[in-house]
Parts: sequence; structure tokens; C-alpha cells
Amino acid sequence: MIHVRDLSKHYADLKLGQVQALAEVSFDADAGQVFGLLGPNGAGKTTALRILATMLRPTAGVATVNGYDVVTQAPAVRRQIGVVSGGTAVYDRMTAWELVEHFGRLHGMQREALRQRMESLFDRLQIRPFRDVLGAKMSTGMKQKVSIARALIHDPPVLIFDEATSGLDVLVARALLKTIAELREQGKCIVFSTHIMREAERLCDQIAIIHGGRILAAGTLPSLRQMHGEQDLEELFFRLIA
Amino acid sequence: MNWTNIQLIWFRELRDQLRDRRTMFTIAVLPLLLYPMMGMAFLRVTQFLQEHPSQILLLGADRLPPSPPLVVDGQLASPVCPENEAALLRLTVQDRHTDRETIESVQDFATAAIARGDYDAVIWFPEDFARRLNAFRRQVDRIEDSDSKENELGKIQVPSPHLFANLADDKSRIAHDRIERILRRWQDQVVREILLSHELPEAVIRPFALRSRDVSDEPFRRAAVWSKVLPFVVLIWALTGAFYPAIDLCAGEKERGTLETLLCSPALRSEIVWGKLLTVTTFSAVTALLNLFSLVLTGILLFGRLMAMEAGLDVGAPPMSSILWLTLALLPISALFSALALAVAAFARSSKEGQYYLMPLLLLTLPLMILSLLPAAELNPGSSVIPVTGLMLWLRALIENDYASALRYALPVFGVTAACAWLSVRWAVRQFEDESVLFRESEQFGLGLWVQHLIRDRGNTPSIAESLACGFIILIATFFGSLYVQPAADWAGLSRVIVATQIGLVAAPALIMTVVLTRRPAQVLLLQRPRWSTVPAAVLLAVCLHPTVVLVAQQIQAMYPLSDEVIRAMQPLADALRQAPWWQVVLVIALAPAVCEELAFRGFVLSGLRHLGSTTAALVISSLFFAVTHGMLQQSLSAFGVGLVLGLIAVRTGNLFPCIAYHLAHNSLTVLLGRVSSEPDSLPGWATWVLHPSGNVDLEVGYTTPALVASVILSALLLTWFHRLPYERSAEETLKQRIAAHRK
Repeated sequence: MIHVRDLSKHYADLKLGQVQALAEVSFDADAGQVFGLLGPNGAGKTTALRILATMLRPTAGVATVNGYDVVTQAPAVRRQIGVVSGGTAVYDRMTAWELVEHFGRLHGMQREALRQRMESLFDRLQIRPFRDVLGAKMSTGMKQKVSIARALIHDPPVLIFDEATSGLDVLVARALLKTIAELREQGKCIVFSTHIMREAERLCDQIAIIHGGRILAAGTLPSLRQMHGEQDLEELFFRLIA
Repeated sequence: MNWTNIQLIWFRELRDQLRDRRTMFTIAVLPLLLYPMMGMAFLRVTQFLQEHPSQILLLGADRLPPSPPLVVDGQLASPVCPENEAALLRLTVQDRHTDRETIESVQDFATAAIARGDYDAVIWFPEDFARRLNAFRRQVDRIEDSDSKENELGKIQVPSPHLFANLADDKSRIAHDRIERILRRWQDQVVREILLSHELPEAVIRPFALRSRDVSDEPFRRAAVWSKVLPFVVLIWALTGAFYPAIDLCAGEKERGTLETLLCSPALRSEIVWGKLLTVTTFSAVTALLNLFSLVLTGILLFGRLMAMEAGLDVGAPPMSSILWLTLALLPISALFSALALAVAAFARSSKEGQYYLMPLLLLTLPLMILSLLPAAELNPGSSVIPVTGLMLWLRALIENDYASALRYALPVFGVTAACAWLSVRWAVRQFEDESVLFRESEQFGLGLWVQHLIRDRGNTPSIAESLACGFIILIATFFGSLYVQPAADWAGLSRVIVATQIGLVAAPALIMTVVLTRRPAQVLLLQRPRWSTVPAAVLLAVCLHPTVVLVAQQIQAMYPLSDEVIRAMQPLADALRQAPWWQVVLVIALAPAVCEELAFRGFVLSGLRHLGSTTAALVISSLFFAVTHGMLQQSLSAFGVGLVLGLIAVRTGNLFPCIAYHLAHNSLTVLLGRVSSEPDSLPGWATWVLHPSGNVDLEVGYTTPALVASVILSALLLTWFHRLPYERSAEETLKQRIAAHRK
């Protein structure tokens, strides 16, 4: 589903000079899998995911999503993905229903099909109690649920979660991880970035540890443990980035 | 582009803005309150001004002649001061302010009294005024011999009364005007008495009266005032109405973090921009319309009331047809301002930053609006193609019922407005496609850090910002250079100025920036070995295209004729050029600019602009810089076209030498044609196939029609040849080509 080869991204920073945000990063993620990008803040996770979401263009390398090139076929890629990030906000002056409906319409969904899909999603994500509340009045948890509904409305085969649990309380974070697991069961290809080891251990089928724009290690959790002779992911992580 | 997506974004943004109280206040509430409140304030101020009497001190009342009387019983005499004027004056009469009066002591006293606010004006009659005036009268009575009258009268000097007022203060200025009017009337009475004493009628000094009559109809007179006010108000509010929604829709969304969700949606960036543009345009148009309706309604009621009060205002209610015309013209105006505001606002990271960026847009637009309000401004071929100004003049013509002019210039006015709006939309789309604009983050800024960054992180070729900076540095340097350097009187001085300007102010900035800011100077300045055929081909193109360029230049000059002052100022230059040896002229006027300007504009500036990813945009912007350095508008317009051709050669050949060759050939032909023009009879016989006397004062020799036809055909062939040359694309241009290939 997702193929990334030698993806690099650098930009000029006034203080630091040329910053290598990503350096020849390569990975693959398949359908029915959660691919975890594990790394500290500033490791390059968001840059990689923004390139997959066609918001940024790579300096070098190739990335395809469901067969579409992220640079030359950006509009087609955007039809294949749903994006949720910790920093993604909802519109302050729109209700949950209006917002999700708007993005469903942008994806070209017909009114009746859209309504049915929204009813189902709102029930599943427990949005119905606050469906007519304006974004400005929602709590962080409510906003994140609405963002997930917005990302899922067109039933995309690929989902990108960029630090989606940051700022959420334990209950909402747990519910979110449960939702992602359910989506994996439905055969979605999920790319999930986090800096929380517990989440990666619990959820990801494949993990890539990223630091300073480079992937330091990648594979399934058992294979990583075996390869580096370390059972504890946190210890393994610190040893790699040290 | 998908219209459904545009419509969805448009309606969403509309709903979003309509739920925002700040926007609603600016767009709907403010216009409805503003003008009625301004009207109320105006009425109050008018009343205040009408009822405020001026405090006048008259010093030296004892020196006034008994006849004709100026002051009677402490008040101004009624023959010189009618009742309505007397009501606006509070007169205090004193014989003197001190025993030893001099003009200096009176001035000090009056200045202090006016500054304290005791009086608004002080009128002083000096010592001997009455006595000298009487002496003057007697002298007039005595002199019978008309020949000696002037000499005799000149011996008696009547001391001047002095009127002291602070003209920088409105109250004092009004008092000055009021009392001056009365004193002039009194002076007339003095003259009348002298004439009567000699049994001469008053008609001696005024044998006829000049009467002026306004032949305009009342509706037209009214329209003339409103035709200036209404377009200005509508345009200002169309701009203001676009500002806040544009900031909220771009910078506001970035600030709130909602822009990313839209960028991840299937909507194309162009669809997002069009959706947002339609929203901003809607609010801009509605703001302007509501302001227009509110102003017109207030105007009808207010001026109706003022006319009923006989306030002396010759302004009636605005003509109703003006509302219709302004409403029709609002769409292109709002679209233009909205696209500009959107493109500028897209660059801002926050709403606060957006306000800073939009202020220069207002400052750039205001002079164009004010230009149309100047008394000499009228709708003509030249003004009709000036953005904003042309549109305002066109509206003025419509409101003044000058439909013939409006119809004649409708195409250029709307063509220019539509072209500007289209370019602004393209700019806004580009802003939304540029990740460095969309995901700009705050970073520590310091001058040292910035300079270090410029040198440390320099690329092979300049960045877009560095190219633009170079262009502006050259423009500013040449502008100040032209103000600082005195016009040379002879050819030697003139040639020194031209060469110094070209090397010091045009080439030097580009060369210094190339060395300091880039890693590959030869690549930046396109100084590789040229393909041998391109240099003679460029010279041939310059020769073939020259008749067309001359024709275009003549048409431009017909459209924007040079003023007499400019022609007079250019005369020494023309004389110096005629007298100088021809090879020196070619060296200074043709070679120096050919090398220096090509290094700057086709070298540094164009190389950096190629990072835009659009060759057309790079050519247009570099040609604009090249054009504006030519100083005069007439020269700039034709230089813009030449700049496009030179840019095309630079891009297609990847080399500066063909550009220098073209520029040298073009300039040489122009100066040589100018020299031939001064001696048309010296033309050899064969030259008459190509050249003929044109009858033009400035260029007495022009190209013949067959030469012009051949010029167009051969130039088209040569330009096609250049256009088909394989050329090296920038990384951005290659990427754009790849994306376009996938879309197909």
C-alpha cells in the first residue's frame, strides 16, 4: 500500500543552516497492518507523514500511496488517505455534523450515502451526543473524535495518524487506540507515529525507530528484540538513539 | 478544477464568516451606523462653525478718519459690515496698547493675545494713518495737471494698517478672512469718496463688471461632486471589506490549525483558492454595497436638510443612477482586491502578521485611487489602462452621464482589471502551493544570524527572494542616483554619468550578490561557452524586430505623449548625442547597458526567478524590473517587451552572450536611427527601401511598410527557432512538467 524509497527532505534554517529533516528513509506498509514510526520530537516523523499526505514535497526519493506518486499524483493520493494529527483542529464555527458532512461532500459522496455513513460513524465513535455542538465549545477528546470521523468519512484504504494521542486523556487515548485496532481488522493500512513506547508496543505490527531524520531500525517488534538482544522497547529505543 | 468543490468551500467559508461577530460588525453593522453618525457629526460641526463668532481687537481707533466711518459706537459701521456678518464678529476697540507703539511691539502684543486665545485676530491702524490719508486726499484735490499726478501722489505714503492672525489656526484664519473682507469694503468706500469729490462716478475704477454663469444643469453639477466621492468610497470599502475575511481565511486558519485538514482533502489547491476567493469577494462586494447604500441614503437626507437650511452648499443628493453603475462595476473591483488580499494574507503565519502585510497593499492602492481625483485626471487611452485609476475614472464618466467615453474605454478598463485580477489569483494559487509559505514557522531572527545564513547556505543559483532583492536594490539605487547626479551639460559628462550608473548601480549589485550569495557564478550569470549559431541569430533577431519595436514605441508615445517640460529637459541629451562621435555613442549608449543590464536582469535576477517553476512568470517579473529601471513610462513600456524577448533568448540558449549581442544590436540601431533622423537628407538611395521620413517630430525617420511587414515575418520565424531550442530546465520547472504530464 505504502512504499517509501530513499525519501529525503531538507530545508534551510536561519540558525541551523541546511536541516536534514529526513535522510534517505525507506519503508513499506501493507494493508491490514499498523506501521509505527517511533521517535522523539523533531525526529522527522511529522515531515515523513506530511510528505505521504502530499502537504510537503520531498527533496529526493519516491513515495507512493496505493500506487499513486505523492508528488506527481497528489490529488489521487489525497483520495486514498485519511489524516489525523495531534495538531489538527476542527473549525470553531462549525458543528461536528456540519464539519464531517463538508469533508464527505468534498470527497464526492452522494447525500444519502453520506448521511448513512455519518450516522454509522457518529454511533461508532460516540459523537452523536455532541453532533450539534460548535467546534469552539468542544473538549480536546471531542475534537479528536470528530477529526477521526472526518478522516474516515470516505472510507479510505490508508490512514495516517500523526501523534494522534498527544494531549488526550487516558480514556480518550485508549478509545482511540481501540478504534485504530478495529480499523486494522477492517484491512486498512495505517501509519501511526508516536513517541510513546507503550502505544507502539501495543498497537504496531511493524515499527521503525526514527531519529535525526534517519531510520535506525525497522521490523516487527519480536524481530527488533531479537536483532538487538533487548526485550524492553524503551531500552532498545534509548540504546539506538544514544 | 471541480466547480462542486469550489462551491462547497465557498459556502462553508461564507457560513463560517457569517457566524463571526467581528466580521459581521465590520461588514454589516459598521456601514449602517457610520454614515448616519458622520452626518449627525457634520450637522453639529456645521452648527458650531456657523455660530462661532470671531473675537477681533481693533487697535488705533483714534487714528481712523471720520469719513467714511469704519467703527460707529464701538461696532463696525453697517455700510461695510452687513448685519449677518456683524453677528459673527465680536469687536473690541482700543486706541492703543501702550504709549510707545512700534510695529514690532504691536506684533509681539498681537501674537501673545492670539496665542492666549483672547482674540482671533488683531487689526492695527498706525500713527498718522488718518492724517496721512487726509493729506493724500487733499493732494489729489490740488493736483490738476494729470501728468504730474502720479509723481506728486507717490510722495505721500499712507501707512498700511496691519492685520495680525495665526493662519495655521483655523479659528484665527476664519477671523482673518472675515475682517479682511470688511476692510476691503471700507477701502472701496475711501476710493469712492475721493472719486465723488471730483465728481467722478464709481464706474471709473470698474468700467465693467465680470459676471460668471454656470451653464451646467443642476443634476450634472451634483453628479460632478458625487462622481468623485462615490467611486472612492466604494473602492476603499471593497478593499477594506476584503482585508479581514482574507486574513481570517488564510492566516486565521493556519493559526487555528484547520488549514492542514483542507490541504489533505481531495480539493486542489486552485479549488481551495477559488473557494476562498469567492468568499472574500462576496464580503468585499457586500461591504462596499452596504456602505454605498448607507452613504447615498444619508447623503439624500443630509443634503436635503442642508439645502432646506440654505447652508450655501451646492451639493444635492447623489444621482440614483450612480448606485446602478457602481453596483455593476463592483464585481471586478472586489475580485481584484480580494485576490490581492488573499495572496498577501496567505503569506502570514497569524492574523496579527496578516494585518502588517496588508497595510502596504492599502498604501500601494491609495495613490492609484487618489490619482483619479486630481483635477487634471480624465479618461483617455493612457489613464484607462492604469489599474484602479482607470476604473475609477470610468465610473466617474458613467456617473456624469458621459456614456460615450465610458463605452469607448470599457474594453481597456475591464481588460486591465481582469488581467490584474487573474494575475493576483495565480499568485494566490502559487502561495497555496508553496510549502515554505504554508508551513512557515517562527524562528529566531538576528541580523548576524541572517547574514551568516545567507553566506553559509548559499545555493548554486540565487533564491527567488535574493533575485527580487537584487531587482529592488537596482531600482532604488538608480532612482536615487538619478536624483543625486546633476544632468551633464556636454557629451563627456553625459557619457561618464551613463557608464558610472551602468557599472556602479546596475552591474555592481548583481555581481557582488553573485559572488557573495551563490556558489556557481558562471552558472548564475549564464557565462558558459555559447552555441555558435545563437549569437548571430540574436543579432539578426534584433535587426528584424527593430521596426516593430519602433512602431510600438511610437504608438506608446502617441498614447502617453511626452510633456513639454520633459522634451525640454531631454533636449541637451539629444544635442550631445548628435554632436558626439558615432562610435563613442555606440560604446556608451549601446555596449555599456548591453553588458551591465544583461548581467543584472538576464543573469542574476532571471536565474533566481527560474526557481518559481514557471518560465513565463520569471520572464515577466525580470522584464518588469528591466522596464522600470528605464525611468520614463514611455521607455519602460517598450523596454518591457524587449525584456521578454531577451529573457526568452536567455532561457532557451542558457547563455548571456546572445542576450548581450541582441541588446547591443538593438541599442545601436536605436541611436543610429536617431542620428540619421537629424540628417534625413544624408540617407543613401538604397536606404529608402527601408527608411523614410516619418513626419514624427521626435523621430523624423521611420521604417517603410514593406520593412515593417518583413520585420514581423522574419522576427516570428527567428523567435520560433529560439523557442524550439532544447534548454535546461530548473528543478522546479522539471517537477511542474512531470505533474502536468501525469494530469494528462
